Amino acid sequence: MRTPTLMDSNELKGSRVKRITGLVVLSLYFFILLFFAAPASAQEQFYKGKTVRIVVGFAAGGGFDTYSRTIARRLGNHTPGNPTVIVENMTGAGSLIAANHVFKVAKPDGLTIGHFIGGLFLGQVLGQKGVEFDARRFEYIGAPVKDHVVCAFTKASGITSIEKWVASKTPVKMGGVAPGASTPDNATRILKEALGLPIQLVSGYKGTSDIRLASESGELAGGCWGWDSISATWRKSLESGDALVVVQAAPKAHPDLPKVPLAINLAKTDEARHLIDVGIHADSEIVRTYTLPPATPKDRVQILRRAFFETLRDPEFLAEAKKANLGVDPIHGEEAEKRIAALFKLDSTLVAKLKDILYR
Amino acid sequence: MFEMLNALFSGFYQVFAWSTFSLMCVGIVVGFIVGILPGLGGPTAMALMLPFIFKMSAVEAFAFLLGMTAVTATTGDITSVLFGVPGEPTTASTIVDGHAMAKKGEAGRALGAVLTSSLVGALFAAFALAAAIPIIRPLVLTFGSPEFFMLAFLGITFVASLSGEAQLKGIISGGLGLMLATIGLDPISGIQRYTFGQLFLWDGIGLVPVTIGFYAIPETIELAVLGTSIAQQDVGRLGGVMEGVKDTFRHWWLVIRCSALGTFTAIIPGMGAATTQWLAYAHAVQSSPNKERFGKGAVEGVLGPGAANNSTLGGSLITTIAFGVPASVIMAILLGAFIIQGIVPGPDMLLPPPKGKLDLTFSFVWVIIISNIITVAACFLFLKPLAKITQVRGSLIIPCILLLIYLGAFAEKNAFEDMIVVLFFGALGWIMEKLEWPRPPILLGLVLGPLAENRLFLSSDNYGAAWLWRPGVLIILMLILAGILYPIIKERRQKRQGEASAPVREPRKIQPRLNGAVLFSLSIVVMVALALWRSRDFGFRAGLFPWTIGFPVLALAIVQLGSDLLGYGKRRAHAAVGEMGPKTSPELAYRRTLAIIGWIMGFFGAIWLLGFLLAVPATMILYLKLAKEKWPITLTMALITWALFYGLFDYALHVPFPEGQLFVWLK
Repeated sequence: MRTPTLMDSNELKGSRVKRITGLVVLSLYFFILLFFAAPASAQEQFYKGKTVRIVVGFAAGGGFDTYSRTIARRLGNHTPGNPTVIVENMTGAGSLIAANHVFKVAKPDGLTIGHFIGGLFLGQVLGQKGVEFDARRFEYIGAPVKDHVVCAFTKASGITSIEKWVASKTPVKMGGVAPGASTPDNATRILKEALGLPIQLVSGYKGTSDIRLASESGELAGGCWGWDSISATWRKSLESGDALVVVQAAPKAHPDLPKVPLAINLAKTDEARHLIDVGIHADSEIVRTYTLPPATPKDRVQILRRAFFETLRDPEFLAEAKKANLGVDPIHGEEAEKRIAALFKLDSTLVAKLKDILYR
Repeated sequence: MFEMLNALFSGFYQVFAWSTFSLMCVGIVVGFIVGILPGLGGPTAMALMLPFIFKMSAVEAFAFLLGMTAVTATTGDITSVLFGVPGEPTTASTIVDGHAMAKKGEAGRALGAVLTSSLVGALFAAFALAAAIPIIRPLVLTFGSPEFFMLAFLGITFVASLSGEAQLKGIISGGLGLMLATIGLDPISGIQRYTFGQLFLWDGIGLVPVTIGFYAIPETIELAVLGTSIAQQDVGRLGGVMEGVKDTFRHWWLVIRCSALGTFTAIIPGMGAATTQWLAYAHAVQSSPNKERFGKGAVEGVLGPGAANNSTLGGSLITTIAFGVPASVIMAILLGAFIIQGIVPGPDMLLPPPKGKLDLTFSFVWVIIISNIITVAACFLFLKPLAKITQVRGSLIIPCILLLIYLGAFAEKNAFEDMIVVLFFGALGWIMEKLEWPRPPILLGLVLGPLAENRLFLSSDNYGAAWLWRPGVLIILMLILAGILYPIIKERRQKRQGEASAPVREPRKIQPRLNGAVLFSLSIVVMVALALWRSRDFGFRAGLFPWTIGFPVLALAIVQLGSDLLGYGKRRAHAAVGEMGPKTSPELAYRRTLAIIGWIMGFFGAIWLLGFLLAVPATMILYLKLAKEKWPITLTMALITWALFYGLFDYALHVPFPEGQLFVWLK
């Protein structure tokens, strides 16, 4: 309500001081300014003094939380009206509780942003229990980064190249955390099926660092998960050659790994390529998607999308992300939306196949 | 060698750089508050502080974060002792005897003991960390899933010593704890076990709401029924702080053993202070000649966990530094801090400069030592006034405890359902206390269950049956057998010696009866049977653990039911705490019990209906006025609690408190 009155008084002032030429110019300047500012000011009004919450489906201190807090610190500066941005942790059921909350409970007013694991979208398609959302009705802001899945092994395991892996007489022991987890479990299962690799997936480790420890002690040979994480936590062994990346499951080779073969190029059938594309590539792109509740006003979706990507370009943000080892490789909202919509158009044989591979 | 010493001193000097030292002090202050307040845990605080370390140097950053973490376990003990509400998840076991001591009027002594043992534990861990540096990597790498499983199994056998005189009841409780631990998504096959379609049960039942329910609710009821202050007696100097300090030295070896237990168990990933505290408590009971004192205010029951929950930090830090494998949530966040500082945890951390960063590792050791000394010294300044809280009249304390109960339950995971878990386990804990069922075995089962199950399957998946012959497994197996057999042999020998003088036992009369004890045993039988029935379609992998636990527990529960029915196990003339302090007539006690249960439920109802922000002051004012407190004191207290609550949890920390249901309807 404040801005219109200001506008009126400015206009009145403008008419009163017409005689003074210098001020005419000034008032004209004001008019022009107000004219151009008007479309934005409605939104500026909306976010001014407001608080935007990012509801994170995982506990404080984890990867999802760290991304969100790093983004939250700058997002307000890039949103017209400079709202306060805070992070709330709503943990439970592998972030499914948060996903359901954002869909069912959160108000679609552009003040609640959801951040839960993108593997849940495929989960919905495959009929995962407990899903109470419809991924097709969320609004998508985008994601700060794509995952880049690689499979790494210790030198001691003998799996030092893809050829050695294929030729292994005994199944190679690889670590997993739980059925349905995007990495390592889903990625490993899909590679096993699509490439016919000799793999024994041993699931139930607490996390990827536990898998790393079990690999170093010789209990496991290795595992498949994101390169950002492997390169940061296994760096010393990778440098010394005690650990090696044998294959990467991404559409393009990572700049750090120009010589490591791509899984998709090793696939021999269309079905195998399709499995890798849907089960690993698509999943990696949308795994860190930020969403808005269904029916959030389109103009606010646009504002937040723009603010989100400006934040991801902010040099200060990039400096912090670099320090915290958070990779930045954004996916735009439209792109994420397309990728997710495509999941719902998969043909039923592939869906049945995926269900069989991932949940058997 | 010279290089190592050099790094040791270099680490020391680095901590005493002006900026580092002052940041460490800031960390200590934050950790102090975080420790005292339930619902505000070390991990949350650490995650919130992480952004501030971007601009710090490595030594500064870790002085800040470690200073904060190192003290939470110490100050968390204070809340546990005074109120019977765990200040931190890692200080739950201190309640059992610490709060019982406070009720006996020995709050000062309990606090003195817990602080001194905390300091000893922390110092021990720091030295262990320093001394273990050369052998850490080879040692930990010989451990695989089979050894981890055996250690969890060793922990489970401690249930026997936690059961005191009621062995059968204790073993059933331990089994129930293990059964409760299976609630949630099975980590191996992803099957939902006992979740009843509730998403919040997917991750299982949290230790914090169970502990709060088990201890804080029965204690609150008792406090209200007796109508006294927390301390029911005034024992003068005997209950004083110095007495507790002396206790630490009287039981010096126990404190050292528990410190070692904390440090070395914590090296195993997945064994945080939430577990080691119970192992230490069990060990304190096991090694005591008169076990019946425990749970009623035995100072050893405070010293053990006090030392262990602090010494755990050193152990966890070892695995984090040497392998980059976080042993606990706090360590996972610390690992994030390592990465922010551009440090890769690993063998380099253990090499002297210029090749490695041993000086940094040693600076961690110094930070732990110095921050603990500062904290304990600061605490001693406030101990007398703190202990006085136990002498404030109950009507002023009860509403505050109720607030701590619900806040502590909600804010750990920001889950409304956890408050219902508190109420459920509150009722269970109250009944168990009345019927003399030991509660610690349930908690031990709850913390060790997931670890044991996971590692058992990982062992058999990785090694088949061959894991049983691994040397580490056999060594731990021998330890377990020794632990079980030694007390039996000792008891036999004592019996043989005492046989001549032992009085002839009167034959017990067998008298069939039906009472509360029978009903409770019956309901356990029914619950376990139902749980087994529901588990019929879990499949082999998800079902194996519930079946192996469930059937023996069912059998034992039936035996217990039979013995209750026949009136065996005559009620001992127990020196229960309830019989101390002023006598209350049964009629008055009954009325007061109903009233306090009404308040407990009513507070919950108010939170549900109005939301925390309105329910807290409203209930506070209502309670204090009905307890005939004067207006000035009522309003002041309501205002202070509300301001603290709103300012800290809502405004500063953005805890997402749920909106009151009333306002949802009105919209």
